[in-house]
Amino acid sequence: MKLHSWISVLLLVYKVTAELEADVFPVDNEVDSIQQEVIQETRKNGTDESSSVPPSSELLSLEDPVQYNFQENLNLTPLPNNFLLASFQFYMQSETFGVNRNEHESNVYSHHTVFPKPVGPIMSQTNTRQLHLRFTHGLWDSQEWGQLPHSGLKSGGNGVELWAVIEGPSKEKAMQSWITLANSLSGLFCASINFIDSSKTTFPVSSFLPTEDDAIPLFNENSSLYLIRAALANEPICTENLTPFVKLLPTRGKSGISSLLDGHKIFDSNWHSLSIDVNTICEDNTGECHYSMEEFVETVVNVPNSLARADRPIPKPLGGDELRCDTNKPHDAFQCFPLPGSREVDFNISKLFGKKICGSSLLGKTSSKICAHVPSNWNVMVQVGDLLFTTDDNCFNVNSNEPHDVHFETSDSGNVLISKETPLHVSRALTGYGQDRGGLRSVFRNPSNQPVELVYFESLPWFMRVYLSSLALESDDSDLTLDSVVKSTFYSPARDRERPTHLERKLVIPPNSTLALSFQFDKSLLKYAEYPPDANHGFEIEAAVATITSPERYEARSSSLLLYLSTPDFSMPYNVIILTSTVMGLAFGTLFNLISKQLLTLEEADRILASTSPKAKLLRLKGKIIGLLKRNNTKPAKIAKSE
Amino acid sequence: MVSSETQVVCACFASRLAVSYLFPSLQQQLDRTVEFSTPVTSYRSLQEGAYLLLHNLPVYDGGVVHQVPLLVALMALFKPVEFLMPVLFAAMDSLVAFQLMRIAKLYQRQLKIPSYIPGIVYAANPLVLLSCVSQSTCLFVNLSISTSLLYALQGHFSLAAQCIAVAGYLSPYAYLLLIPLVGICGTTSAGVILLLKSTVVSFVLQLVSFSMNNYNWNYMTSTYWILITFSKMRPNLGLWWYFFIEMFEFFIPFFKSVFNIFVISFILPFSIRFNQQPFYAFVLCLGWITLTKSYPTLGDGGFFLSFVPFFKPVFGYLRYPVISSLLLIHAIVLSPIFYYLWIGLGSGNSNFFYAISLVYGLAISSVIVDLTWAMLRIEYDSGKPNLSLKLTQI
Repeated sequence: MKLHSWISVLLLVYKVTAELEADVFPVDNEVDSIQQEVIQETRKNGTDESSSVPPSSELLSLEDPVQYNFQENLNLTPLPNNFLLASFQFYMQSETFGVNRNEHESNVYSHHTVFPKPVGPIMSQTNTRQLHLRFTHGLWDSQEWGQLPHSGLKSGGNGVELWAVIEGPSKEKAMQSWITLANSLSGLFCASINFIDSSKTTFPVSSFLPTEDDAIPLFNENSSLYLIRAALANEPICTENLTPFVKLLPTRGKSGISSLLDGHKIFDSNWHSLSIDVNTICEDNTGECHYSMEEFVETVVNVPNSLARADRPIPKPLGGDELRCDTNKPHDAFQCFPLPGSREVDFNISKLFGKKICGSSLLGKTSSKICAHVPSNWNVMVQVGDLLFTTDDNCFNVNSNEPHDVHFETSDSGNVLISKETPLHVSRALTGYGQDRGGLRSVFRNPSNQPVELVYFESLPWFMRVYLSSLALESDDSDLTLDSVVKSTFYSPARDRERPTHLERKLVIPPNSTLALSFQFDKSLLKYAEYPPDANHGFEIEAAVATITSPERYEARSSSLLLYLSTPDFSMPYNVIILTSTVMGLAFGTLFNLISKQLLTLEEADRILASTSPKAKLLRLKGKIIGLLKRNNTKPAKIAKSE
Repeated sequence: MVSSETQVVCACFASRLAVSYLFPSLQQQLDRTVEFSTPVTSYRSLQEGAYLLLHNLPVYDGGVVHQVPLLVALMALFKPVEFLMPVLFAAMDSLVAFQLMRIAKLYQRQLKIPSYIPGIVYAANPLVLLSCVSQSTCLFVNLSISTSLLYALQGHFSLAAQCIAVAGYLSPYAYLLLIPLVGICGTTSAGVILLLKSTVVSFVLQLVSFSMNNYNWNYMTSTYWILITFSKMRPNLGLWWYFFIEMFEFFIPFFKSVFNIFVISFILPFSIRFNQQPFYAFVLCLGWITLTKSYPTLGDGGFFLSFVPFFKPVFGYLRYPVISSLLLIHAIVLSPIFYYLWIGLGSGNSNFFYAISLVYGLAISSVIVDLTWAMLRIEYDSGKPNLSLKLTQI
């Protein structure tokens, strides 16, 4: 086995100085510890891991004979106003493989164990070292709910977002791999990811940089790594995307917490996000690598609505006796003022998700874990069979194969764990009217007492012709200038039908302030065939991404926008060809006649016409024929003619 | 006593300056109309170019800048004193008016009109005035063309060559005017000098631009190639835009070549047919380019129409001056309305504006056809008008 030298190309913003335990994933505490376990386990075992038998101390039981690098958690967090965030987290690792696969391919038996079978080949064929895929839809109310889960690092803008680190000898080759990757993922996830082409793809410069502390391995010393990204804002996220997601799990949604994943319930929510992150992790000294994959499904449901829908699948008005009336106000048997929403809550998650958890995952190294993050006035119980259990930290391990259920009850549902406030609120809107031009206005609000540094990433389609010179700052603080806010700008202008406008600006938002950055753009006309069938619906513009680097790492996204373009009349092609050609022909023909023909008086023209008109020609022909006939009859006639 | 020509120049300068400074927002509004600004001549795109240049961002790597590097550099130079831009444009416009009057002076004997008349017509032409106020860069081209024409008529062929090279550098269509200019030269040697000199100057200009653009030729694609390929789809008063929006993808390359050949088709015929009146051949060629170019503006049309007073001796021969002027007025009045109906209100569709662009095309072509006819007529009459004679062509 050759010893490979590793080149760390994409260095990280901050260097690792802590010990092994410190390199954690940016997720909340509960997950951290589990993640650390998995990682430590992995490091301890090193390359022996392929034996897939856990260290000796544990007892092997017949029901659970082998254990794999698979871990699943379910985090349930009640949010203000009776919302509930359910976060399904799955971690898995592939078996190790040698880097120089040509050497091994023929004689090494490969087993993909818990790692999904389709992902490995896609990664290796397209030379992808890191893959990040996000399906997100809905509105995260950051004013009420605080920070996005996982500091926003696991959720994308509306629609599909895909970015990857691809190894390639050149940018063009990497681009080819990228297109292949997009097409493969499109098939795998039943999404229109195949619509990603060069006109939607950007090469981010300071956003989306890999966050892990380790360097991304380079399999070939002569090539380099490219960070490539694209997003499709108009992609609806639906059950056909969730099914392949669940299929990637070793449990296939049949056991463990993934048995709760039902499209009808997950997408019946205010906000949902599916995410996949695949990393290639290599040992420095042995050159053995493995893939590690994180699959998250997150959803925010409105508890009373979901419960009501479970009770009455077909919406019907409540009966008079079920109405909760405010009796202090005028009321009768048919109508009344409603009481404010009840703060008493009592529900099972099986009612929210339609079914119970089908036991443990059966193959994880550690048991499936369910955690509820609630303050002390909530009672959380896990129900196994008919028995109810509680724990101090509201975390439960799912070990048995019995169906599990989680029961929540509280007298004051308004009292929830206070989520950290978002370091920055970003919103973006289109301004102006008319379909030939417009403006884009981004508003940044920093609620904290310290300045926020961020990278603001925007990728705009080529039919928006951006005038960067019109960049303007609006702020209450008159001392603020554009230069003090915008620290640096990366700008790659759009090229028609080839690439989008790519703007990355490093901004500093002063404490406790709100400011707006705006610029103007022109809208282009498209060719008749380039409009989608619903041309007057408009074009979705993907969300802008604000990557906050200080005071904490956080990713916020604006909402996506709908851009109206002027449209031609789609029924006109033939008419236009005819009419324009007529005008051109009229000008050309008239001028051609004028220039090439001879100018004469009318009398002269008549005379010439008389001798050249068809009638005159016919007469002459007739004369000739008669002459010929006469010549045959009499010789003197011929002589006379020859004279 | 100030000569009437000086008065006209002053009036021209003052009127433009007054409009620019009395209605400061008019410049931006006009720059956004499709009649006075196109992607290749708009002042906004020039500003954007200067901004990108000053901030060390890529100027010609795609994007919205379709102005030549020297113009962008000039704009960047003027950036600190941008409020003086209206003065520059007004001065250039007055210079054009002045040159038109000088040309009229050269032809005073044949024209039989006071030499200040073309100046007045130019200064009072609302199309030219608004185009100047919109600070469209087509004024630079027009100025170069009129300077070149004046020098050629005065016999300064070397200077004429330099000016036409500048015009060609700004807008390659001006190179087509070299052919009628050679006709103006008269002698073969002068023609050769004109061609050689303009080639040399063009090369120098391109090399300077090349070096100014960080030794990169990519500005060629954004500034010249776009005229041929019509890659920026934006409505204008020309014949191209709707045709290529509606055309089936498969035929686009074919029709692009047809439209490009159409532009050059009548340059040589005009120059040859009217080789005895090369100045008029030049004007007709100018009109033909105005009609057929890919990104025409009303500024171009106004510039062409400013030469119509020089056809004073043949006015009697015009067959349908009323129809031409009605078509022109119809197009100019209705085009902003119909564009607004389509884009602003959404109560009309693109066909409204398309119809107007056709009418405008018809108007310009009827002017050209009529002038050509009149030229042929006076040629037949050997310069002594005989209006009663009925002529026809076969």
